[in-house]
Amino acid sequence: MNCNKAHVLMSVAVDGELTLKEEQMFLLHLSECELCRLEYEEAKKTKMIIREKIVRFNAPPSLVNMIMQLSSVDSKKTENSLSL
Amino acid sequence: MAKSETNRPATTSSKKEAVSREEHMKQLEFQKEAVIHINSLYNYALHLTMNPDDAEDLVQETYLKAYRFFNSFERGTNCKAWLFKILKNNYINSFRKNSKEPGKVDYDLIKDFYHSIKDTRTDTSEADTDYFHSLLHEEVYLALQSLPEEFREVIQLCDIEGFTYEEIANMVESPIGTVRSRLYRGRKLLRAQLENYAKKYGFNTDSEK
Ligand SMILES: [Zn+2]
Repeated sequence: MNCNKAHVLMSVAVDGELTLKEEQMFLLHLSECELCRLEYEEAKKTKMIIREKIVRFNAPPSLVNMIMQLSSVDSKKTENSLSL
Repeated sequence: MAKSETNRPATTSSKKEAVSREEHMKQLEFQKEAVIHINSLYNYALHLTMNPDDAEDLVQETYLKAYRFFNSFERGTNCKAWLFKILKNNYINSFRKNSKEPGKVDYDLIKDFYHSIKDTRTDTSEADTDYFHSLLHEEVYLALQSLPEEFREVIQLCDIEGFTYEEIANMVESPIGTVRSRLYRGRKLLRAQLENYAKKYGFNTDSEK
């Protein structure tokens, strides 16, 4: 395996989606290539930074309530006494 | 059950009751399986629409549709992936058509988003050379937003939402090989962007370690 091929597989390796065969070849290349080893560490960091730095927002309570209502609309139609 | 039946006045009402009981079970399952993903869906909708009002509408439409078709959801599969697919379809079919300018980022909105977040640059002396820790939330967000949509989308679905390649391929209706190469190319672009930000702060990213 050459470095170009290894670079393509790196992104896949970071996600744990390599096939068994790819993984063997990839690890073999890493064991022989210092540059790709460093590159792989960078690739892992890039994924991590996205996970850590992208801020997640909570859905507004009004929206949550509305969705809870949605899933009880049908039953209200069929029977008024059942409320949730 | 038979006991309470004797107290009921008419047979029609007991039939009604059976229907609504089934409906009630569906509700409970829906809330347990689908509604718990509301925050993820809301964030995905925000990224797509770049507008909180539109995001709310989109999430609402998605849940309406999901509830109506909940019987067709294949039990045991990933409900979150199923919901994302519905949301994406909704977005393509109704939202994108009406949006003012496709792909236009609302920077005021981003500012509002990130305004409330106390965003301190961590300067631990040891990790000084590590530019990743120096990046602000807003910068990472802008770097991600700067990518072409097809790249941004797969990175979002993979890194933020944690979907598998197979799930992503199904969502974006492309082969897994395409997902792989979009992730690869998208990440390359993203890293270049992030390194630009880092350089701005005087971090030398080339000679790291
Ligand atoms: Zn190499």
